[in-house]
Amino acid sequence: MPRLEKIEYKPIPVRELLVEMKNLSELMIDLAYSAALFNDKELAEDVLELENRVDTLAYLLEMEIMIAARDSEDAEALTGVSMVASAADKISDAAADIAAIVLRNIGMHPIVSEVFEKVEERLTRTRVNEDSIFIRKQIGELDLAARMGVDVIAIRRDKDWIIDPKEAERIKRGDVLIARGAPSGIKEFKELAEGKLRKLED
Amino acid sequence: MAQLHKEQFKEIVERFVELKDTSELMMDLAYSSLLLNRKDLAEEVQELEEHVDELHTEFELLVLSSGFKPEESKDFLGLIRLGVVTEKIADAAAEIAEVVLRGIEPHPVLKIAIEEAEETVTRVQVAENSPLANKTLKQAQIPSETGMWVLAIRRGKKLIRPKPSTKIEAGDVLIASGYAKGEEDLEKLAAP
Repeated sequence: MPRLEKIEYKPIPVRELLVEMKNLSELMIDLAYSAALFNDKELAEDVLELENRVDTLAYLLEMEIMIAARDSEDAEALTGVSMVASAADKISDAAADIAAIVLRNIGMHPIVSEVFEKVEERLTRTRVNEDSIFIRKQIGELDLAARMGVDVIAIRRDKDWIIDPKEAERIKRGDVLIARGAPSGIKEFKELAEGKLRKLED
Repeated sequence: MAQLHKEQFKEIVERFVELKDTSELMMDLAYSSLLLNRKDLAEEVQELEEHVDELHTEFELLVLSSGFKPEESKDFLGLIRLGVVTEKIADAAAEIAEVVLRGIEPHPVLKIAIEEAEETVTRVQVAENSPLANKTLKQAQIPSETGMWVLAIRRGKKLIRPKPSTKIEAGDVLIASGYAKGEEDLEKLAAP
């Protein structure tokens, strides 16, 4: 059993805590599906680490909510905040459950991964080929979200995963990218990464 | 024999992807229902939850009846567990929607948090006189016209996963995501 740390109150705005919880929980789900379907243990371990982070955030948020409620009106309005936090927490738990499938060697039939890559349209794993226009570009400058509704959620470089890469991160040849988004955008993204498509449309 | 096996897997994985996409769609809709304080979106989430329950049962039956060999049971357990997770996500979404349906006025901090976090999801019904009616999604060019992406189409009780060749009919409900500004444009296009 990992040792559980004591969580001390820190004055962080509710908004910040909630945004991070929501974003992390959504990110975790996609990372976890990727870990399971591509049978990737390191990615699964990263998901468990993020789960710890979400747990900590959930505690801190609960403390903030308690401090913020001064009367019955506050309490009513803050119930919604608490419910959303609890939903985000549940989602992150669900992601951890997926990660556990990989880490406890329950595993996934190899054919499942093979079929999944063909059927899935909103999540992709793709390698950056030498012909790709992505090479040496920063994630931010590619502006994939506005252009095609796609987010890069993780990059595997050499042996490590870079989770939720920053805008300034430069893509390198041979990187493995995990991206999520609208099906049409995902298709375009894959072709760009593979070097089959050589032009970014506006 | 090996070939048959692969076909079976294809059906199982397709069902799983449908479950996964529907549960994620529910999450997006649930957050948006809260952000915009819209009961219609929250009701859509509740309806989708029933849909997910059905899909999940069908998925489990499909996996269990696939005739796997004892030595493959671990691999199939993995699939069953994935299905359970989608159900958990759907439940979490339904809980968020419940906040809206119970008429709890969302705290301002929620709106700020959700606005900051992501774009919104909305639903619009296609009117008879809409230029979208009777066009395929490819012809309709909704993303370039409005900046919104159609995530799903509800036609009566059915939920359709959009393909470029899917034809939009009058009365369809389009569930789409994008930035708040695109929402108005989409509304104008669907119900002029």
